[in-house]
Amino acid sequence: MENKMGYNASFAEEVFRNVDSGDEIKMCMNCGVCAASCPLREHMDYPPRQIFSLIRAGKREEVLGSQSIMLCTSCYTCVVKCPRSIPVMDVMHGLAHYALKKGYTPRIEAARFGKEFWNQVYRRGRVDERDLAQRAYFAGGFWEGVKKILEFADVGIKLVLHRRMKLIPEKKIKGISTLRKMLDKAEMLDKGRSVQ
Amino acid sequence: MKYFLYWGCSLEASGANFLVSLKPSCEALGMEFLEIEDWNCCGASVSYAGAGDLAIKVANARNLAIAEAEGGYDVVAPCSSCYIQMIKVNHEIKEDPDLLEQVNVCLAEGGLKYRGNLNVRHIQDVLYNDIGVDKIKERVIKPLSGLKVAGYVGCQSVRPYGEYDSVNKPVVQDRLLEALGAEAVPFPNKIKCCGSGLFVPEMDYCMELVKNILEDALNHGAKLISTVCPMCAMNLEIYQNRINDHYGTHFDVPIVYLTQLMAIAFGMDMKKHAALNYNLIPPEGVIHAAIG
Ligand code: SF4
Ligand code: SF4
Ligand code: SF4
Ligand code: SF4
Repeated sequence: MENKMGYNASFAEEVFRNVDSGDEIKMCMNCGVCAASCPLREHMDYPPRQIFSLIRAGKREEVLGSQSIMLCTSCYTCVVKCPRSIPVMDVMHGLAHYALKKGYTPRIEAARFGKEFWNQVYRRGRVDERDLAQRAYFAGGFWEGVKKILEFADVGIKLVLHRRMKLIPEKKIKGISTLRKMLDKAEMLDKGRSVQ
Repeated sequence: MKYFLYWGCSLEASGANFLVSLKPSCEALGMEFLEIEDWNCCGASVSYAGAGDLAIKVANARNLAIAEAEGGYDVVAPCSSCYIQMIKVNHEIKEDPDLLEQVNVCLAEGGLKYRGNLNVRHIQDVLYNDIGVDKIKERVIKPLSGLKVAGYVGCQSVRPYGEYDSVNKPVVQDRLLEALGAEAVPFPNKIKCCGSGLFVPEMDYCMELVKNILEDALNHGAKLISTVCPMCAMNLEIYQNRINDHYGTHFDVPIVYLTQLMAIAFGMDMKKHAALNYNLIPPEGVIHAAIG
């Protein structure tokens, strides 16, 4: 399956074809600058550089099941530093999105939080921070939710007292139905659509 | 000068002190703000878990299309996440006509079209380049002399394009602090990431990032930390107790928005305009100790 560029054609091709910004890694020269940039690199099983080599080596399970692809803080350090101008962050986000769509669950809490965030944009056009926190807490089940609510009650109460939490639920934007049509269309046209 | 102010969801909630202080302090410098009619959330940095790249771009392009049709003034985004999301789609659209076309196919579902003519600006950019430090200095009534501030830039407010400041050695926030009379202390963690939107779900990992930033600012003599991003402010401020419990530290550092310091230096009301009562860690003490 190896082609002349040293890629395992099947998985590398899958990434190029289906993952947002996936084809950008073709230019990677494996220098490791991006890996040194990551704020949470110590907690990553495979830093970005290694993720890209694993893609070339055809290690599908390792890549899509890795913790690292969900541990990107979106700090753009790698994007600024990569000598080949590869938008490393976009590739990481693309891989995370693809892995979640394929049923992998790396870093479940971060995944739930991000999914619920987008749900709010889609349902209402705006994010309601209080509602977002509650839904993210309860996504793991009722008791886990109760535990989290109690654990973070101090923060919530302080924010309310300092007028930094909305008590009235956020309303939908007026154009919500057309916003959804636009977003639905975008998902239809997006790169990984064939594997929805 | 007229601008669209895209304040985003956080500035109506956890980042309310940013918006409350930004409006009067910037208006005092002659800026006039319009709201983008019926704007939607930018999706921030975490939405990729639920959405494809194009959908996030379209969400941002909707706001830009509305602003363009309503007069096309520069769009100012105080939240770093909003800024980066909007400027990114704007950049990519300008470089790639195919992308613009694809985005417009989606916007057409709601009768909108974006031509790509807008500029997206950070609030620091506008203050530094449109207003300028001289005009800011002229407006200062109560100079913040003797106040040692660590101007925390974070990451998304200057990266990745470096539109108005260096991505590696940003100076704009420090120049603005100095224009207010404050002393901007240098500290190496100035542009280190605080964990961003990942802080809440990955708190165990991200607390260390915040601890390092706070420690570094204090070690370099800062009495308070200023930010220009609602997420930086949240992450640096509201978990200090938790960080103290975890690391045995004793942090109690006030975290303020640059615009709160502007309102104070402009002699405005500490509550009504500088919104200091919104802060969980009260900054009044260190401010009064420095400027009386
Ligand atoms: S910095 Fe760029 S070229 Fe170097 S390993 Fe990372 S992605 Fe590849
Ligand atoms: S943007 Fe993501 S991948 Fe890039 S350095 Fe930051 S955390 Fe690492
Ligand atoms: S980044 Fe935060 S504040 Fe800005 S629009 Fe998105 S959710 Fe709302
Ligand atoms: S420092 Fe943190 S919150 Fe601020 S811009 Fe960077 S990631 Fe975002």
